[in-house]
Formats: sequence, structure tokens, C-alpha cells
Amino acid sequence: MGERYSPPRSLLRGIPITIWMLCLVAVPLGYTFLISFFQVEGMQIAAKLTLKNYGLFFTDPMYSRILLKSMLLALAIASLSILAGYPLAYMLSFRVRRGKQALFMLSIIPLWVSYLVRIIAWRTILGNKGVINSALTALGFIKEPLEFLLYNRFAVAVTLTYICIPFVFIPVYTALEKIPRNIMEAASDLGAGELRTLLNVVLPLSLPGLITGFIFAFIIALGDYIIPQQLGGTQGIMFGNLIWSQFGFAFNWPFGAALSFILLAISVTILGLTSRFGSTEGGFLNE
Amino acid sequence: MFSPAGGLRPRESFRSERGMMSDENAIELRGVRKAWGDVVAVQAFDVGIRKGEFFSLLGPSGCGKTTTLRMIAGLEEPTEGQILLEGRDVSRVPPYRRNVHTVFQDYALFPHMSVRKNIWFPLKMSGVSLADARQRIDRVLRLVNMEGLERRLPQQLSGGQRQRIALARSLVDEPAALLLDEPLGALDFKLRGAMQKVLKDIQRNVGITFIYVTHDQTEALTMSDRIAVMKSGRVHQVGTPDEIYNRPATAFVASFIGEMNFLHGRTLGAEAGMPQAEVGGQRLRAARSTVTGTPGAGDDVLVCIRTERVQVNSYRATEHEMAGTVRRIVYRGTDYELTCDLEGQEVRAVVSAVDWDPALKVGVSARLGFNGADITFFPREEEKEVVQYATDAV
Repeated sequence: MGERYSPPRSLLRGIPITIWMLCLVAVPLGYTFLISFFQVEGMQIAAKLTLKNYGLFFTDPMYSRILLKSMLLALAIASLSILAGYPLAYMLSFRVRRGKQALFMLSIIPLWVSYLVRIIAWRTILGNKGVINSALTALGFIKEPLEFLLYNRFAVAVTLTYICIPFVFIPVYTALEKIPRNIMEAASDLGAGELRTLLNVVLPLSLPGLITGFIFAFIIALGDYIIPQQLGGTQGIMFGNLIWSQFGFAFNWPFGAALSFILLAISVTILGLTSRFGSTEGGFLNE
Repeated sequence: MFSPAGGLRPRESFRSERGMMSDENAIELRGVRKAWGDVVAVQAFDVGIRKGEFFSLLGPSGCGKTTTLRMIAGLEEPTEGQILLEGRDVSRVPPYRRNVHTVFQDYALFPHMSVRKNIWFPLKMSGVSLADARQRIDRVLRLVNMEGLERRLPQQLSGGQRQRIALARSLVDEPAALLLDEPLGALDFKLRGAMQKVLKDIQRNVGITFIYVTHDQTEALTMSDRIAVMKSGRVHQVGTPDEIYNRPATAFVASFIGEMNFLHGRTLGAEAGMPQAEVGGQRLRAARSTVTGTPGAGDDVLVCIRTERVQVNSYRATEHEMAGTVRRIVYRGTDYELTCDLEGQEVRAVVSAVDWDPALKVGVSARLGFNGADITFFPREEEKEVVQYATDAV
């Protein structure tokens, strides 16, 4: 036994994952971090170190205003995702008896469909000649198509919530499935109806899953730039779009990299603050 | 004072006291049946459980005892029949509106709540004021002898401590009955014995009706006022430990509790009111027989006698005496277990070390003595229900 777990062997086993992490995480991030201190001269990135890129973010209030707006929107989206995903997971975990597995797969099937396809689908639902407006017009409720459905923050919130629901659903469902059923029976036995069992027992025990789902949704929403670009119009611009435009149109990679790192720093801070409450495995608190 | 043997007498007096208090049933089952599709878990269960009684449901796994308990708790709905709680039909009442609590086998404590909050839970649900709740929690903690651990979380407690907290949580709002589902099943042997005494002691102190599910016959015999013995969803017998042990209603009950010899015989009619049967060429009289039909018809019967009732080379005179050959001797400290061959049938005898004849060796002939008072006849077809135990399962 002693030989099997000798240090050289365990080091050897760590090599593949180390290479993986280096190639896919550390090197690209390190490189991006490095060029966030470079500057653009003409159409060339010059390897001259400067803090100008970060300075620009702090001096021009537009950037921090959009960042704040994006964070508030992401917060709303994460909350909506919880409101939609938690009941879904609750019903599936506690109420459904037959076909649970099939329903679970159905709930996460959106993840199998291309992200872009789902965005376009929402455009056909919310658009001027989309499903909602056509239906309401046909039923005679409205004469002119509703304008507020598309190309604004509302459309971004609806679509991003839809995108985030499976990411909330999975950790919450896992957490709920882990609650021993006899604990719920004990609650009922000791005088708690379903609502009080939910509030006193189920909710606290699934809190780690709920927090994890909330963080997932928040970070996905905060970093997204395709949905605001496709459905957000001018009003729905988010911080992700600013970064994207630096890399795309403006060809200012160093500034884009600086903005990326500001966003990354915020995400990591939030993760760090909340990860001790959350759990990807949905275990109990204090465990 | 709470040892199994010494416990008998106080329990008797306790019962008579209670009898004067009320003759009303705490719980009554009327024709209760539970089936899932074609699978019948419990059938035709009729019983009245008296107030303050320690009532056990005893049987092998899968006999329907836990299902019965869950129906009383409201965690399962009976397919047929009624469950009455203090005279009120609760068959369709959800568990949270029934004044009974369950102590689950693995305790089912709320893992995110401290000991104190766990015990507070039922009081909180029934809207008891904080000051009152505090008093009651303190009182029940004293009752289960668990003061000083209120702030701990369940996972910081040992098995026996969790058991006590689960008990405290179920007792704190003084339910009409406490339902215990193999509560000692997860504990090790020594702790089990200690907790049996604690449980019995508490039950006697609070006077609450206990319904106790167990597959352990010793536990049922030592703790219960009455026992219902179940097998395959059917109740075989309801009676006091004494009745269950000494006057088993079926061959299954006889085999499940204690150690019993089952010999094959043929009925020979009756003499002076005592049925007779022939075993290995000998005419045996029995105090009891559950065989129906014409006596003396030469029916195949099971002739039953407890292993400790078989006398071996004894100075005591017995009604019947037969010669057998010793096949095996097992020394067990306080007694010897002897296996003899009696005309091709196996007879086991447990002889106390005091009465042991040192001349007994494997291969020698032994004088086996029986009294008719210790013999029971059961119909031969009940033999398939007999459970055989390893010799050490006392």
C-alpha cells in the first residue's frame, strides 16, 4: 500500500490536469492580464507597460455607470431565475413520482440547443410580427404591435432569465434530492403543513443549492454580450458589449482586456464571498 | 429495577392503575388493510390499544409492522378500514393534524437546527409561547437526561444521544401516542440494552401510549404490555408477553419467539380433555391443540415443546419419557444446548448448567422427559410458516 501512494506516483497523476489547466486557463488569462497593461500605437499593440487602460475606466463615468446597470440587471435576472427555477425543481423533486428522470432531462434540454438558436427563437416570440404580437392582434386585444417587448432591457432580462433557469434548476434540484425524505415526514409528523415544511426545513436545507444557482445565473447574466447585442437595442447595452466592442470594432485589445479583468475581479469577489455558503453538491450547511 | 425480569411486577401494577384511570382506547384499528396494487402489506388488522399501554408490533422484516405504524402516523393512507385516535376517525387526516408523533429509525433530526431548535419545532408549529416552550424544552431535556447539549447540532451527537433527542422532540408537546419505528435498531448491542431501560422508564414516567415496532423478540417481550405478532401482513396473535410466549396461537408465533422444538406426530384422539398424539411410538398428551376436525383421525400434527422444557437425564419425574441419542453438545456458559436424535427426529434441549449431567457425551443415550402441560399441537400445514433460528438467537 505504501508504495502505491508514493509521492512521485501522485505527482505523475497530477500532470494531465496541470497541463489542461495551464493551457486552457492560466496561459490565456495570464496573456490577457499582460496585454491589459499594453497600449495601442496605430493598429499595433505595443508592449509598453502602462496603467492608462485602467485609468480610463475610472475616469470616464460611462463605464462604471454601465457596469452598475449591468450588475443590477444581472441581479434581477438571477432573482427571476430563482423564482422560476426553484418551484420547478421543487415540483419535480417532491411532487412527481413517475417519469421523474424524463422530466429532469426535459428541464435541462435547452442546454442541448445552440445558444444562438434560442436567442433567435426569443426574437420571433417578442418581435413586432412575433408570436405574442400576432396572437394579441389576431385576438383583437391590440391594433398596433407592442413595442416594449423587443430591443430593450425587458427583452434582455426575459431571454437571459430563460437561459439561466437550467443553471439554477440543476443545483437546486440536486440539493432538494439530497434532503432525506424522512426529514420531511418528520416535519409533517411534528405538525408542519407543506408550506411550513418548505419554509422551516426544505428552504434552509436547499440553501446551498439555491445560492450556487443564484451565483451561476448572476455571473452568466453579467458577462453576456450576445443577448444584449441581439435583443437589447441601444437601451439594453451591457458591460459585456463594451468589452466586445473593444476587441471587435475599436481594436483596442489592451483596453478590452482591462475591462475584462475588472469584470473578472468582480465575479471572483462575489464567488469568493458566497462560495462558503453555496455548494455544487447541494450538501447541508456546516458540512 | 428496570431489568427485564424485575420489570414485570411494576408493569403489572402500572397497568391496573391505568385501568382505573380510563378504559378508553387511545388508538383503535378497525379492519385496516393496506395494499399497493396486488401487493398486500397489511390485512384485516383489528386492535384496540389502551391509553398508556406499551404496545409492540413484532414480526420479521416485510411483515407489515412498519406500514401499520405509518398508517397510524398518517404517513400512509389505509386502503380499507378505519383508524381511530382517541375515538375520532383519523383515517384521512394528514399527519400534521394528528396528535401522534413518530420516532424514526434513523431519528430524522433536522440537521440544520440545534438540539434545542429541534425540540422546539413541534411547539413552534402548535403556536406555544416562547416562555412556555422554554420551560417544556428544559423539562423534556431533563427527562431524557440530555441537559447541557442544547446548542449542539445533530451531527455532533452520538447515536444514543440523537436517539434521546428524537425522543425528546416527540414527547415535548405531549402527544396522545408515540410511535417508535425500530428506534434502537441502529444502536450497538450494549447501548440497546441501556436504551431499552431508558425508554421503558420514560414511558412509565410520562404515561403516554407507546406503539413500538421491532423485529427483536427479546425487546418486545421485556418492554411490552401487549404484543401483536405479525407475518406477511397478517396478525397472528395479540397478547401479553406471557400469553405470546406460553400460549402461542400459531406455529409461526411459537417459532418466532423463543426456541421451540417441532416434532412430527399423528393425532390419537383425546383423553380426559387432553388431546393426544403419537411421536416415535410414544403417546404424548398436550395441554393445548389448535388442530380442528375430528380428534383421533390420525391427522399429521406438529408437536411443539420449548427447548428449556425438555428434561435431560433429570431427577424430576415427567409424564413422558423417551430415549434419544446425543448428537451435539454446545456449552453456552449458563447452560448447555443439547441436540438429540429421537427416532429420526431432532430434539433440542437447553439444560441449565446446574442441572447438567456430566455423563452426557456425544453418542450416548439420553433420557428425555416431557410434561403434557408444556406440549402444544398445531396443524401440520402450519409447518411452512415456522421460522428456524440459529441456535444462538435467544
